[in-house]
Amino acid sequence: MSTVLEQIEQQIAKLSSKAVRKNTGVIRTVADGVAKIDGLSDVMYNEMVSFPGGAIGIALNLEQDEVGCVVLGDVSRLKEGDEVQTTGKLLSVPVGKGLLGRVVDALGAPVDGKGPITSSESYPVEKIAPGIVVRKSVSQPLFTGIMAIDSMIPIGRGQRELIIGDRGTGKTTIAIDTIINQAKINKVGLASGDPKFRPVYSIYVAVGQKNSNIVRTIGALEAAGALEYTVIVAAPAADNPANQYLAPYSGAAIGEWFMENGMDALIVYDDLSKHAVAYRQISLILKRPSGREAYPGDVFYLHSRLLERSARLDGKGSLTALPIIETLAGDVSAYIPTNVISITDGQIFLETDLFNQGIRPAVSVGLSVSRVGSAAQIKATKQVGGKLKGELAQFRELAAFAQFGSDLDAKTKSQLDRGSRIVELFKQPAFNPIPIEQQVVTLWAMQKGFYDSLELKRVTSASVSLREFFATRKDAVLAEIRNKAALDKDLEDKIKVGVEEWKASFSA
Amino acid sequence: MPKQDQQLARQLFSLSLVGDTLSTEHVGAVLQYLEKHPPARPIAVLRAYQRLVRAEYAKGQAVIEHAGPIADSLVQSIATTMTRRYGRAVAGVAKANPSLLAGLRVRVGDDVYESSVAQQLAGLSV
Repeated sequence: MSTVLEQIEQQIAKLSSKAVRKNTGVIRTVADGVAKIDGLSDVMYNEMVSFPGGAIGIALNLEQDEVGCVVLGDVSRLKEGDEVQTTGKLLSVPVGKGLLGRVVDALGAPVDGKGPITSSESYPVEKIAPGIVVRKSVSQPLFTGIMAIDSMIPIGRGQRELIIGDRGTGKTTIAIDTIINQAKINKVGLASGDPKFRPVYSIYVAVGQKNSNIVRTIGALEAAGALEYTVIVAAPAADNPANQYLAPYSGAAIGEWFMENGMDALIVYDDLSKHAVAYRQISLILKRPSGREAYPGDVFYLHSRLLERSARLDGKGSLTALPIIETLAGDVSAYIPTNVISITDGQIFLETDLFNQGIRPAVSVGLSVSRVGSAAQIKATKQVGGKLKGELAQFRELAAFAQFGSDLDAKTKSQLDRGSRIVELFKQPAFNPIPIEQQVVTLWAMQKGFYDSLELKRVTSASVSLREFFATRKDAVLAEIRNKAALDKDLEDKIKVGVEEWKASFSA
Repeated sequence: MPKQDQQLARQLFSLSLVGDTLSTEHVGAVLQYLEKHPPARPIAVLRAYQRLVRAEYAKGQAVIEHAGPIADSLVQSIATTMTRRYGRAVAGVAKANPSLLAGLRVRVGDDVYESSVAQQLAGLSV
């Protein structure tokens, strides 16, 4: 017994005499969430440093005589002369399924009052994006549930599709609709017990938004039953710019965990304009040289390294990104919008005019594009909506031209009529995504001219009624479309029978 | 602080070195020069210069903080170890610090080697 006790005693003695080496520095100045530190000669770029009182910082500026650190936490308790220590670690956030249904801050700490997060793993906030060899081209669809997007600007898993538009044009609504649609698909897929089904988990990163807006978004997701498949990373407007700068990277780290572990994830960055503004603020305080619109020279790298982390990995999962950019007066040629447009694989452009005309979602077909998504579009949608984009673009051109004269030939009149029906058909209320099989039926009916005899104002309600009819009475047909993902003669006949039945009841 | 002042302080500091070691005579000469030819913002330059000299000076000193009594041989032994570790002459300076409770804290430049009871207790409380 005494030998055992001696051994323990020796172990304690060994531990207690062990000296710990720390590299330290002293705060010279602290202002606007940035501390200038003397010392820290061993600090590495992006390394976490620890301040007294438990606050942490990130070393962003390594200069000859001083280190510039952004402070994440309460700056008011720091003062000149306080000792700072290096930690030898990069900033990490907790990751895993334990975060689903939770609202966390930029450091992954819960802010929803639902208790601590159960997570055994953490991922570094900054990580080099996957290289060329490990990537796979985008070929699987990611349905947004928005008919105008799924049929004309399809998005694939692993794609980066920008949502761009002025304030109040429904950018966030599109993103939320997409998240809700993923949740709906997940529920159906998981209930079916199909082993091949791959659910999509969502991450919503709110940067520089009002707390009330974030609460509204959480409410919408909760009401739609989508919160259980979603992680919300919140860095509201009242948060310090360092947290706003970090939040998208934290969200990306959370998303990467799903991707690396063979799952699919969707991440929404709402929005990167405010992210760039937060980074500009930090850079100006750090006295980095400013360039166009006072943004620092590496503002392109800020977004490119973030969005490059979204990918589809060979043999693993995918991370699809929906970054949002807010434009001023529809100016897509401003600095940050052009940067992000060039980084992403396409954009969904929302127009204020269309929104004010009541065309919602206000997707501008001419300016919106998906550069890789068509490879991921299912055959059924291609069959029924392949020509829609061209027809709508032609309609817009003709509509503008038709304003100059009243004498129009029959062909032009019919094109205008058809165009305006398509516009009506694509109108869709917020937070009400449409399953892809119902979209196929709706567009099939349009393609075959089933709405042509209707009054223009009744097209939207007719399409809603058609979908309800199929959902309640022709569920087997919808399931067949969902499973086959393509229309053959037999299936088209079944749709035709169903649509004719509906038409008889609707007209009556 | 303006960049010019920082730059001037750095130039003066490099003039104060002989090889890699800070020279007391050179520092004196620099101060004399500054007295005769004061720069536009002398206080700012002198403060920056002082900071650089202080940092350099700290690299050559192992400040050994201790709570209880400490033997000269231990101070000498620590100084020798640090000299070997940093590859430069490091002198040992003992400094009493009762707040450590027990154990030692050795500071060489920015590096702190901590084996005090106070630090271990702080670690337990986290």
